[in-house]
Amino acid sequence: MALKKPLAAVAATALAATLAACGGGSDDGDSSGNSGKAEKGGNAIFFVGVRNVEHWDPQRMYIGRDLNNSGRLFYRSLVALPASNDPVEGTTPVADLATDTGTTTDGGKSWSFTVKDGVKWEDGKDITCEDFKYGASRNFATDVIIGGPANYLFTYLDVKTGADGLPEYKGPYTKKGQDQFDKAVTCDGKTITYRFKKAWPDFPLSIAQLRYMDPYREDLDKGDANNFAIISNGPYKLDGGWKEGTGGKFVRNENWDESTDPIRKAYPDTWDFREGDTDEAIYEQLLADSGDAQYAVTERRLPPALFSRKDEAGDRYTQVESPYVDYVLPNFNSEVFKDANCREALKLATDRAAWIKAGGGEEYFKAADSVINPGVPGYKPNPAFDAMGESGDPEAAKAALDKCAAPKPVKIKFTYSGGTPTSDKQASALKAGWDKAGFDTELDPLEDTYYSVIQKPDADFDVTWGGWGADWSSAGTVIPPLFDSRINLTGDSNGNDYGNYKGGAEVDKMIDDAYAEPDLDAAADKWAAVDAKLGEDVAYIPLEITIFNFVHGGKITGYANNVSVNGYADLAVIGVEK
Amino acid sequence: MLAYVIRRVFAGVIMLIVMSIVTFALFFASPIDQASFICGKNCSAAQKAQTAAAMGYDDSFANQWVDFAKGVVQGRDYPDDPELRKTAPETIVHCDAPCLGYSRERGDTVTNLIKDTFPVSFSLAISAFVLWIVGGVLLGVTAALKKGTIIDRGLVGLSLVAYAFPTFFVGLVLYKFVAIKWGLTDIPRYTSIAEGGVGGWLSSLTLPAITLAVFFMAAYVRMTRSYVIESFQEDYVRTARSKGLRERTVTFKHALRAALTPIVTMAGLDFAGLMGGAIITESVFNYPGMGKLAVRASSDFDLPTTVGLVVLLAAFVIVANIIVDLLYAVIDPRVRLG
Repeated sequence: MALKKPLAAVAATALAATLAACGGGSDDGDSSGNSGKAEKGGNAIFFVGVRNVEHWDPQRMYIGRDLNNSGRLFYRSLVALPASNDPVEGTTPVADLATDTGTTTDGGKSWSFTVKDGVKWEDGKDITCEDFKYGASRNFATDVIIGGPANYLFTYLDVKTGADGLPEYKGPYTKKGQDQFDKAVTCDGKTITYRFKKAWPDFPLSIAQLRYMDPYREDLDKGDANNFAIISNGPYKLDGGWKEGTGGKFVRNENWDESTDPIRKAYPDTWDFREGDTDEAIYEQLLADSGDAQYAVTERRLPPALFSRKDEAGDRYTQVESPYVDYVLPNFNSEVFKDANCREALKLATDRAAWIKAGGGEEYFKAADSVINPGVPGYKPNPAFDAMGESGDPEAAKAALDKCAAPKPVKIKFTYSGGTPTSDKQASALKAGWDKAGFDTELDPLEDTYYSVIQKPDADFDVTWGGWGADWSSAGTVIPPLFDSRINLTGDSNGNDYGNYKGGAEVDKMIDDAYAEPDLDAAADKWAAVDAKLGEDVAYIPLEITIFNFVHGGKITGYANNVSVNGYADLAVIGVEK
Repeated sequence: MLAYVIRRVFAGVIMLIVMSIVTFALFFASPIDQASFICGKNCSAAQKAQTAAAMGYDDSFANQWVDFAKGVVQGRDYPDDPELRKTAPETIVHCDAPCLGYSRERGDTVTNLIKDTFPVSFSLAISAFVLWIVGGVLLGVTAALKKGTIIDRGLVGLSLVAYAFPTFFVGLVLYKFVAIKWGLTDIPRYTSIAEGGVGGWLSSLTLPAITLAVFFMAAYVRMTRSYVIESFQEDYVRTARSKGLRERTVTFKHALRAALTPIVTMAGLDFAGLMGGAIITESVFNYPGMGKLAVRASSDFDLPTTVGLVVLLAAFVIVANIIVDLLYAVIDPRVRLG
C-alpha cells in the first residue's frame, strides 16, 4: 500500500498498493449523512481521480475502492455486506444472490450456497450455479487472469499444488487439471458447493468483501480483453465502453429486480465515473460546490494544501479512520538487525509523533499500536510497543543500544518510498529520533524502484517502510501475507515480508493454529497472540493509521462513509437532489 | 524532387527504427520489475514469473524488438500462444498491421489507444495552432511595422511576460479562476464533435487551447517581429522601394513573404510536436489525449504504449519536416531555384 505516494508511485506499486475490501472502518468513524432523504432520479458523479481503475474484471479486482463501488452498483455476489456503519452489522454478510449466507456442516471445510430465483444478468439471462463455478475457475488461469486475490483460493480450494507452487488446475482456457476443479466445486441444481483442503470459517466474509468468487459468463468471456468489460447483474450497467483514463457512464439495468436485492437502493438514474482529474482539481470544484461537482462524491482525499479550507465545505466535509496501518520493518537479513538488542533499540527510539507531525499531523494520522487495524477482529494494542510511548524513549533506547553488538554509532540505512517532500520530511523525523539514541541513519528514498528493491532478500537496507489493509475482516489477511515466511520468502523474493522475518517453527505453528480455529472469536484471539509474538521479536514497528478527509457535493443525499465499504462513500445508498 | 522525397522518407524510416530500439533499450535497462506492476498485491514469485512470461518480458530484448517490428509489418496475436489458440480462441486479441503492440495495463491495442486519443490531441493542437499563428503573426507584423512606437514596445513587453509564465501555471490559473471560481466557462471536459457538435467541441477546447497558445503566441510575436524587421533591411526591399512600388506591395509581397519562410518551418515542427500530445496542458485539464496517455504509460511502465507513442510522435515530426521543406519551395523562390 502506498498511501502517501504520488500518481507515478501509486500506479507503480500495484503489488502492494492495492487494498482490498476489509472491515477496517473505525467504530468511531463518522457516517456523516448530509441533507435530505435520498430519492430516485438525477445524475451522480464519482471522481475516480488520478489513480485509474486497473480492472473491472471481478476475478482481477483487488483495490478496495473498485471492489466497493462495483459491488454497490453492478456486481452482486452470493453474499454481501449491508450498507451500515455499525461495526458488527456493517461487517456481517447478508444473502445477496444466494438464498442465505451459506451453510457448512463440517466446520467450514465445505460451504454451500443456493442461488436465488429471479436473479438475472443485464441481458436477461438467469444467473446460474454454473456461472459461479465458472467465475471461480477463472482464478486459476494465472497467465490470463492476473492481479486478483486468487492466492487465498489456491491455499484453500481442494486442488493439488504443482511443483511450481501454483495449483495443478490451470483454469478454464486450457482446462488442464479440470477434473480436480470439478470435484472441488460442484453444482447441484441451483446449489453450489465449494470444498476446501482445510477449514475456512470466514469464507463467506471473504467473498462478501472481495469479488474473486463472483459469477462470470463463460459465453462472454474473452480473457484479458475483458479487463474493462462489465457484465452487470446489479442495478446499473455500463453505457457504451469503459475508457481507461477517461471513465464511463452507468445507466439503469432494466433486468435488475429490486425485490431480490436487500442492499442497493440505486437512487440516481446514472453514475458518471470520471478518471484523470488531479486531487487539487477535484477538491477545488468540491470546495466551491459549483457545476457538476455538486452531484459528486470521490474516494480521493482532501489534499493537505487545501486542508485549511475544509470549513468552506461545512457538513459536506467528513473525516474517517482508514483501514490501513503504516509501519517500519527492521531487515532481519541486515548485520545490525539480526541482533535482537539492536531491533529493541530501534523500536524504543522510533518517534511516531514526529512522523505523524511531519506527515500533516493528527488530522491525517492517528498513532498505531499494532499492525492489525482496530477495525479488524483480533486487534489488541500490542504490549510490545507500550514502552515506545508516542515519541519514543531515547534514554531506554540508548540503554538497549549499548547491548547491541554493532560498532557505535550504529550505522543504518533507511530505504523508504520517497519522491515527495512529505515522505522525505517524515523519514527525516524518524532519523532524528533514531540518531538521538545513537544510530547513524542514512536516508535512502526510492521512487518507482522501491518495491523492486526492497523485495530482494539481499538488498542492503537496514530498515524499510510498509503499509497494509486487511483483505477482509480477519487478521488472517494481515499477519500471514506480511510475516509468514513460508509463503513470502522464495529465494529471489521476500514477497510482502520486506523485513525478511522468519518466525521459525513456533510462529509457523501459531499461524497454523489460528488458521485452523473454526470459531472466529477464538481465531481472533490466536491472531492477536501471533501479533504479540511479532512485537516481541520486533518484526515490525507500528507508525500510524491514515485518516481519510473527504468532501462531497452539496446536492448529494444520504451520504454515508460506511464501515461496510471501508469508510469510503457508500454508493448503495447515495442519491442526488434533482 | 521525387528522389529527394524518397531519400528523406528512407532516412525517416531508419530514424524510426533507431528510436524504437532506443526506447526498448531504455525500458529494459531500468531496474524495475515490470511484471510486478500487473501481478497484484499477493503475487507469489511463481505468479510473477508467469506474468512476465505472459507479457513476453521474459524473452530477450532482441527477440522482443523483432516481434514488435514483425507486428508492425504483419500484425500480431495477443497472447501468441498456439495452445490457447486451439483451446480458447476467443481470448486471443488480433492486432492488425501496422500493429504497435497490445497494452495489458489498458486492455487494448496501442493502435486503438491512439485512435481514441489522437483526435483529442489533434483538436487541441489545431485550435491552439490557429490561435497562435493568427495572433502571433498578426501582432508580430504589427509590432514590426510600428517599430519603436509604444505599440511595438507594449506588444514586445506583453509577449515577454506571457513567455515567462510556464504553461502549467497559465493552465491552473485559467482552470481555477475562470472555470471554477468565476464560472465564466464550464469545467473543461473534452467533447468530440459527435457528442457536442462543432459548438460544443470548440467550447470544450477554449481554455486548454488558450493555455497552449499563450506560450507559442508570445514566442511567435517576437519571432515574426524580428524576421519582418530583418527582411525590411534586405537589399531586395530597398530595390523594390527604389523601383517606386507601393509600400503595401513592398510589405506584403516582398518583405513578409521572405519573413514567413522560417516561421513556416517553426510552425510546422511545433504543430507536429503537439500532435503527439501537449503533455502539460492535457494533464492540467485532464484531456484524454496522447500526451496524457504517454505520461500514464511511462509511469506504469507500459512498454507497448510507450514505444507506440514514441514511434508515432517521431513519425509526425519526420513527416512535418519533409512537408515543411517542400513548402519552402512554394514560399521562397530562392529555394525553388536551388
